[in-house]
Amino acid sequence: MTRRWSIFVPLFAAAMLVALVVSPPSLAQGVDSAMLLHPPADSWPGYHGDYSGQRHSPLTQITPQNVARMGLAWAFQTGQSGQLKCSPLLVDGVLYITVPDNVWAVDARSGHQIWHYRYPANKGFHIGSRGVAMYEHWLYFMTPDAHLVCLNAYDGTVRWNIVIADSQKGYWTTMTPLIVRNHVIAGVSGDFDNLAGFLKSIDPETGETQWRWDSTPPVGTPNATSGGTTWMTGTFDPALNLIYWGTGNPTPVLNGATRPGDDLYTCSIVALNPDTGKLAWAFQPSPHDTHDWDAVETPVLVDGDFKGKPRKMLMQASRNGYFFVLDRTNGEDLLTTTFGPVNWSLGVDQKGRPIPNPDKEPARDGRLIAPDEGGLNNYRSPSFDAKTGLFIVDARPSYGIYFAKPADGTFGWAGADYGVWSTSVLEAIDYQTGKIRWTHDLGPGDSGAGALTTDSGLTFTGDAGGNVLALRTADGKTLWHAGTGGDMQSSPITYELDGRQYIVTSAEGVLFAWALPEATAATLAHDHRSSHGVNSTSGRPR
Amino acid sequence: MTPGLVESGGSLFIQRCAFCHGRDAGGGETGPDLTRSKLVAGDVGGDKILPVVRYGRPEKGMPRFDLPDSDLAALVAFIHDQATKAASQNGGRRGVDVSDLQTGNAEAGKQYFYGAGKCASCHSPTGDLSGIAERFQGLQLERRMLYPEHVKARIVVTLPSGETVSGELAYRDEFTVALRDSSGHYRSWATNQVRYTIDAPAEAHAALLGKYTDADVHNLMAYLQTLR
Repeated sequence: MTRRWSIFVPLFAAAMLVALVVSPPSLAQGVDSAMLLHPPADSWPGYHGDYSGQRHSPLTQITPQNVARMGLAWAFQTGQSGQLKCSPLLVDGVLYITVPDNVWAVDARSGHQIWHYRYPANKGFHIGSRGVAMYEHWLYFMTPDAHLVCLNAYDGTVRWNIVIADSQKGYWTTMTPLIVRNHVIAGVSGDFDNLAGFLKSIDPETGETQWRWDSTPPVGTPNATSGGTTWMTGTFDPALNLIYWGTGNPTPVLNGATRPGDDLYTCSIVALNPDTGKLAWAFQPSPHDTHDWDAVETPVLVDGDFKGKPRKMLMQASRNGYFFVLDRTNGEDLLTTTFGPVNWSLGVDQKGRPIPNPDKEPARDGRLIAPDEGGLNNYRSPSFDAKTGLFIVDARPSYGIYFAKPADGTFGWAGADYGVWSTSVLEAIDYQTGKIRWTHDLGPGDSGAGALTTDSGLTFTGDAGGNVLALRTADGKTLWHAGTGGDMQSSPITYELDGRQYIVTSAEGVLFAWALPEATAATLAHDHRSSHGVNSTSGRPR
Repeated sequence: MTPGLVESGGSLFIQRCAFCHGRDAGGGETGPDLTRSKLVAGDVGGDKILPVVRYGRPEKGMPRFDLPDSDLAALVAFIHDQATKAASQNGGRRGVDVSDLQTGNAEAGKQYFYGAGKCASCHSPTGDLSGIAERFQGLQLERRMLYPEHVKARIVVTLPSGETVSGELAYRDEFTVALRDSSGHYRSWATNQVRYTIDAPAEAHAALLGKYTDADVHNLMAYLQTLR
């Protein structure tokens, strides 16, 4: 006892002293578990906003009736030729955005830069950065050479820098980690080599590995696949204490000969315990994939009725062209349907998984495949609107040709494929039937913008020409648009600060914040407070 | 071309280009094989490659890269070095060779051309397709056959006054249409203020993509390759 106190007291005193010295003078609290479970209106504290992956906001200041008056509040220029592909994070009035090797802290009220962090030059793939994660006042940033860097959110200084995977072997990282309590859950990219995909849980304080889950057996296992990378942020159900994660394609990519069978757990949706990394269940959207169709698209969690029965569901619009509704307690398939042109399967098996047609595997003389390698969906975030029961996804109907021959080998890509044709449409899928209730043409070519819905009945997205769009969620009609002059590669977010709702989108290296005119927003905010009784002490209706 | 330049170009290529074009420039996710590229083959000292890198090809998903001249020179040196290496590989070369695309039946392809494919309603082997196999080979021919993205669409715009303007379709999204008239003049309108009709011949090819069997594609290729 005495000895314990003798250690504890000085430590405690030191901690108090540190707390007094370094505590910020503001009300800033950073991120805690409560905020992640129930993000306040003035925050967007995780990649998807909240843990559900619905990218839906309860905010209602901007409505179908007034959205025509929405305009630019501010723009932030990164000054980089690299495109913004991140989902901005917003905590305590500060936005955090990234491109590979770069993080900015930006004032969410004005759009001016607070600090800019540059990671040292490195030889990793500089293909994209999807943003930072935050725990307390620490940021977690993944790098092209597969490191995880912990930064102080106040000033962008480095706290620690650890290696997640060996970039010399061909790994790289782009994703935003998922924070669950004291776990920083980080995934990897890398299908140019035959490598094992895995997820790691990292201690937010020390950077030590808490657990590691491997998607595939050790590389070199006979007749087994490699691959199954983990490059998109998963979702979390706190009641079931399960995280849901999509895994990438098998390797070799286009040649399946050396990896007979289903190739578990590639192209899969897995449910893991966030404290141990133990697998609870798995569902495989693409058994024995030979077309590079990662199943990493957001696993959206929805509680609601399915055919008259209350269910805890998981929905995914997968890259291979199929839309799935699963029971997320056990992985049982409730609905499997296509949401655009698909020609590679022989139908669906008893577990709800598509059955790949062997005649549609890449071949020497080519196979015409729908969708193409980029897929019918990809990294673009979908959105779920509970009021209408619509799953809204930026889809990309497409055809490609796939080739493979012995000379292409059994390592990495092991073949060649080429896009033939593609177009972009926003689709609103009725999750109970899989029927597409409406589509909105987004133009020829690719739209990189995901979708955001709000409780007022609005959907925000972007088209292939670089227009930001506000649509009516019920029928997909355009209510507002603005040209941004560039390619939109990030999914929209929204927040409310000082009584004003902002929609944040990006194009190329520029971030845009859209809002109603200040006077309009102020009036609406005041009315909103009055009608909700916040000002009711005055007793006077206004 | 110095080894040092090639090496530094290779390092830059890995960081910026390899995801789409492959680490060895032989093709990766979505980006073409540069070692078989006609543009690369026709490039002298960067005259063809550099504009593509500097300005991008946004319509094809190729971003622009704002890089110093020394980096660009290194990239060009690396790409040429990779193309030379790939071309000198004897037999068993990765990627798609002309010889890979010879599995079709020309007679069956001809029947498809005049029959189910309805190709003959727009094309003629003695007209626009005369000698097509002399001008294009292998994968390049097949991709043009499947979707000729270079074919421009035409548009006729009817103004509120009733006047009509026609030309090559220059731009179209939900809100704006634009054309370039025969004198090269660019004109645009808000889509909600005019009526317009677009004639896009390539769309007939897109409509066929969902109807082809792989054998149809191979047979059509065999037939087109007889048109010399």
